[in-house]
Amino acid sequence: MADRTHDFGLYGADGEPGSLAAAKVLDALAGFFASPVTSKRGLTARLRYLTTSPSGPKAIQDAGITVRPRTLKAWLTGRQNPNKKNLGLIDEAYKALRRRNVARYLLGRLNARGGTRVELHPLDQSAVEVPRQRTLGFRTIKIRRWDEIVASWAEGDLTALDDAWVDQITDLGSDWGKYEYVTSIGFSA
Amino acid sequence: MSMSTEETLRLTIAALLHTHGHTQAELAAAIGSTQAQVSRRQAGRTAWTLADCDRLAAHYRIPVPILLSGPTAACQALPTPLPTPLPTPHPDPEATTPEPATPTLVPPAATPAGPQPAPNPPSNPPTPGQPSPPAAPLLPCTRCGRPTSHRAEGRPQHLGAFCTPPTAPHTATPTTPESDPGPPAPVPAPVPAPATTSATTSAAPSVVPAAAAGQPGARHMPADRPDVTDPTPDPEPGHGPEPESESQAARRPYQEPSDMPDLIGRAVAEETRKHPDDPEATLAALVRRAIPDAMTLLDVCRLGGRYDFTAYPPAPDILKKTTRQGADDIWEARPKWRLATLPAGRHQVTALDMNGAYLSALKTHLPIGALQHHTGPEHDRRRAGVHLITPGAWHHDDLPNPLGNRAEPGPLWVAEPTLRLLLRLSGPREAACEAPMIHESWTSGSSENLLEKFRCVLRDARENAIDHGDEITLEYVKTMYSKFVSTMGESNANHAIRRSDWMHIVRAQAFANLWLKAYKARLAGLTVVQVMGTDELHVIGDWRGLFNEGRGAQQVKVKDVYEVGAA
Repeated sequence: MADRTHDFGLYGADGEPGSLAAAKVLDALAGFFASPVTSKRGLTARLRYLTTSPSGPKAIQDAGITVRPRTLKAWLTGRQNPNKKNLGLIDEAYKALRRRNVARYLLGRLNARGGTRVELHPLDQSAVEVPRQRTLGFRTIKIRRWDEIVASWAEGDLTALDDAWVDQITDLGSDWGKYEYVTSIGFSA
Repeated sequence: MSMSTEETLRLTIAALLHTHGHTQAELAAAIGSTQAQVSRRQAGRTAWTLADCDRLAAHYRIPVPILLSGPTAACQALPTPLPTPLPTPHPDPEATTPEPATPTLVPPAATPAGPQPAPNPPSNPPTPGQPSPPAAPLLPCTRCGRPTSHRAEGRPQHLGAFCTPPTAPHTATPTTPESDPGPPAPVPAPVPAPATTSATTSAAPSVVPAAAAGQPGARHMPADRPDVTDPTPDPEPGHGPEPESESQAARRPYQEPSDMPDLIGRAVAEETRKHPDDPEATLAALVRRAIPDAMTLLDVCRLGGRYDFTAYPPAPDILKKTTRQGADDIWEARPKWRLATLPAGRHQVTALDMNGAYLSALKTHLPIGALQHHTGPEHDRRRAGVHLITPGAWHHDDLPNPLGNRAEPGPLWVAEPTLRLLLRLSGPREAACEAPMIHESWTSGSSENLLEKFRCVLRDARENAIDHGDEITLEYVKTMYSKFVSTMGESNANHAIRRSDWMHIVRAQAFANLWLKAYKARLAGLTVVQVMGTDELHVIGDWRGLFNEGRGAQQVKVKDVYEVGAA
């Protein structure tokens, strides 16, 4: 019975957890603003996104931004600029809100027509000595129900996301453990 | 026509194999090699070494100089009893077939007038006294379709490269009744064609008309040929030789096309039903669904395919667009060129338009999996991808640079077809420029057939639509393949595949194909005036001998005829 990897990279393999790679793809599908938060344009766009919807204040609060509404307004009009720490928090708050808002539609698209085909590109073994390398090809699975994955991704709960992801890739068969860590995950919606 | 020693030796070995009725495996066993090595040497991928020549000469019991002096001399110099008592499948029934090696056709009075002091009279091999083993049944050769009793790797196949119709060789070599190859001239030497796919790329101008006239189509794959309705070549044992016409002889044996649902026809019918009497609305609806339909068609066409390609491989940074409107680092070598100084006098220029340039370019070497990084100057023919190269200088004013009009000096990333074109042009055969220097590569194992069936289905649908004057289907098919190419990279319009490398490679192939057409025109003595975009070629001179006019994928269309220069 395959189990999770205990000591990944002990023999030089390189990769990242499949759930993390999947979260990156989901983030790419969510379509964040391309301009960085450090640019004027990117900051304004994020602040607008956070302040024009009713769920915005909660997102700001959750991210740990503790400024007064007055300061927010000053950031928006450009009279004042957020410090470096707050810039990071604004970006996080924006991403969290965006993920939550997009999740419903993304879920619909991923679950549509019987699910979405996912490509798993195996971990990088180039630094592993030859006797310890194993034969790894790229694999595909069709994930039919994305509910848990998308929900945990939208909440930013990486542990739950990893559990949900591993739950799905066990469909690969008894060697699913080889694909817990990957170089990249490919799917689209 | 002079051949290199290598080529002559290959032909000689093929002739000797044929004369003895041996297979490559048997020869390999005799000279202490393997069949794969013999095959590679015969295909020209590796060279026959001098040590090999010694072993061959010892095996056949002929002197090495004779071995190197051509098939005719070598076959004449063979000692009377054949070296190894292997079965010599030279059956008598074959004498009635158009297959070569028909001793009855050769006048027996033909004395060996050869200059070699060969101790063997020509009466040796086909003497009636020689016990000939039971002949294998005549089956159509898998390469040329002509009946043969020979088997190569268990399949009916002519030995060596002797699949050409045997017309002239017989009369030319009466002295060697059994060495059917005769003079090596009509035999196409197995030269590896490195660069491209199109058969329109012959090198020497003298070769062009012959190649264009009636080369047995090496480009036809079995699924290509729904027009062949001849049921005879069904490989059944005991199938006797039948008189075949020359055109049939050049064809491949017919294979039943697999059951492909007519997705294109179905989609058109469906939309026509939804929008009766409104062709514009029908077409608009079809164009809207062209991309998902193309992806479905690709999926269906890959059914039973050998390779499972990746649709979302991790992309190296050079393949990522930095901005929305920006480009990545790959230079596709799009031609944009005009002749600097026109020839004196007034000339008529014909603007030719290549039909379905992107459709034809789908036949190209595509990487199957995720691209892997390599450094070093080697180019592996079995891999494809993108390469960082420093190209050699281009010194020909009468032809565009195969790299397009790149103004920036220094190394650049090119796609596989561009590199293969440059390697081919820098090779000893063309010697048109210096070889490019490869610095690094992102490649993966490649196949030329990933999109082949897809291309054939679209091409057939296109030709069908042209024949029936069905403009809606024509436009739909055109949208399918052009949008498939343009959206298979990083595009939001097509989520089913993300292969920027393929997109660059297909485009580069289209540009390389156009460049090669310009090259062909130039070699034939035409003046190339302008090469633009994907499909535009302006020439002065009689192009009709070179290109066929029409709307087919291998034909050209005249876009414009205009005059240039002062009278």
